[in-house]
Amino acid sequence: MDQVLSVDHLSISFGGLRAVDDLSFSINRHEIYGLIGPNGAGKTTVFNCITQFYKPDAGEIRFTDQMGKEHLLNGMPAHKIIGLGLVRTFQNTEIIRELPIIDNVLLGAHTEFKAGVLANMFAMPWARKQERELRKKAMDVLAYVGLDKIANEYAGAQPYGVLKLIELGRTLMCDPSLIILDEPAGGLNDSETERLTELIRGIAKERHCAILLVEHDMKLVMGLCDRICAISFGKKLAEGTAAEIQKNTLVQDAYLGKEDDA
Amino acid sequence: MRLIRNKYLQYLLVGAVFLLPVIIHGVPTATVTLAASMVYTAIAGLGINVLLGYSGQISLGHAAFMGLSAYMSAYLTKQLELPFLLSMLVAVIAPLLIGLILGAIAVRLEGFYLAIATLGFGEILRQLFIEMDWFTGGFSGASATYPKIFGHALTKNGMYIFMVGLLVALMMLVYNLVHSSTGRAMIAMKSSRTAAMAMGVNVFQYKLISFAISSVFAGLAGVCYVHFFRHVDPTVWTAALSLNLIALVVIGGAATVGGAVVGAVVMHGLPELMKGMPIIGEIPGVPLLIVGILMAIMLIFYPRGLIHIPRDIVTFFQKRAARAQKGDV
Repeated sequence: MDQVLSVDHLSISFGGLRAVDDLSFSINRHEIYGLIGPNGAGKTTVFNCITQFYKPDAGEIRFTDQMGKEHLLNGMPAHKIIGLGLVRTFQNTEIIRELPIIDNVLLGAHTEFKAGVLANMFAMPWARKQERELRKKAMDVLAYVGLDKIANEYAGAQPYGVLKLIELGRTLMCDPSLIILDEPAGGLNDSETERLTELIRGIAKERHCAILLVEHDMKLVMGLCDRICAISFGKKLAEGTAAEIQKNTLVQDAYLGKEDDA
Repeated sequence: MRLIRNKYLQYLLVGAVFLLPVIIHGVPTATVTLAASMVYTAIAGLGINVLLGYSGQISLGHAAFMGLSAYMSAYLTKQLELPFLLSMLVAVIAPLLIGLILGAIAVRLEGFYLAIATLGFGEILRQLFIEMDWFTGGFSGASATYPKIFGHALTKNGMYIFMVGLLVALMMLVYNLVHSSTGRAMIAMKSSRTAAMAMGVNVFQYKLISFAISSVFAGLAGVCYVHFFRHVDPTVWTAALSLNLIALVVIGGAATVGGAVVGAVVMHGLPELMKGMPIIGEIPGVPLLIVGILMAIMLIFYPRGLIHIPRDIVTFFQKRAARAQKGDV
């Protein structure tokens, strides 16, 4: 099966702390892949390395786009990543509070806009036309995640659950081939989490998109992910299906502590 | 009702109100001069709003950009006898280039550090205005004339009408800009740099854009200034003016198109209003003191800016009407 992302011997240190230590894994096309580990295991750091918000000390990160072309992500500017079809969300949501919900989603299509400053200033008809088209696409995305009724309300006034959905919707605007979700269910209640699980599953299936997610809600991870990678202190403990991970003694020790620790 | 909500029409109305002093007979010329001060300040403030209100960047050097364009246009029209519109174009290219340099600096510096760097830039320019007297006339300054546009010589009122027209046009352009992908990216950059970058916004590019736009607007304001007052000297282009531009944007309403206009009207109008008051207006210094206190009060009780007042009043009464219908009151 062909891969969409491969992370090869990734390491990064902050001061003396090795946040990620020689970590390798790869994600297949259309796969839902989970990254789990105790608090501070380095999960978000891995995401930040992949999306080039952090520059890793060692290791190679490769991404294969829709056309089958392979890109080395190391050293790429962070704003170029989305153009390849790799898009992410954030653990504590990064929403533009001053903008309406629909404009937040439209931001996800930023790289699609062809108009420059002057064309926008003079409201050239072709620029307005593209804006209208993408606005329509954003409305479709909002309908998909169930926010179309409040599309024009300001994002800043929305509850946390809605912010999470806005972020998810925003990732769909660039027709991604891999979405990285950082704790998509964090702060959500049970029914919201259930709906989100269905949404993520639907996105992977209908939009032919791979998903890499970090999540503490084990029910969600075990029920959703095709494969799971467990890490602790930046090192890989185990990789496999939900059942395999649950049985793994190393993983159990990392989460619950070893007996001789007690 | 829908017609009133049309923004272009609103800006044209603003322009029409500004034209009243030259339309109504018997208005003293001092009033036109005061209104012209409002207009050129509003033009510069409009640019500062793109920079500060929409993009979240700060500059204390833009007053010097206004000065630079003012001197250039005076020099180009008088010494080189260039036509006014051409000299205006050339005169705004200089602050545009310097603005781009500041934008590049802004990629490395943020907040206080950027404020200090731009302050230094502005002061250096102002020193140059004093030193380069072949170009600027040194301390005594340079003079300019009312411009000729397409062979048509403008009077004082004519120049004022030109300025009002320019302001209205720029308001429309800014409205278009902030309601487009460019404006969205700027607001995103201000609100969450992280989100902006993850969504493909090149922060470096957008900082350059916002500095470029604000510098050009400052330049246009400077050109208007010199051809209206027909004189320019270095005492005007101080950091205090840059601070005033920021203050009027905040007072009027940051991240709104009309905010700078409201701010400019209040900033120039309020002191005049106070000076006209009986007793307090006659004691030197007191009117300005009261203006300062009023502005502090505005910022404490209305930090989002005065431009939001009409909308807030409407929503207040709508809510009250809604409650009255439910029978809560």
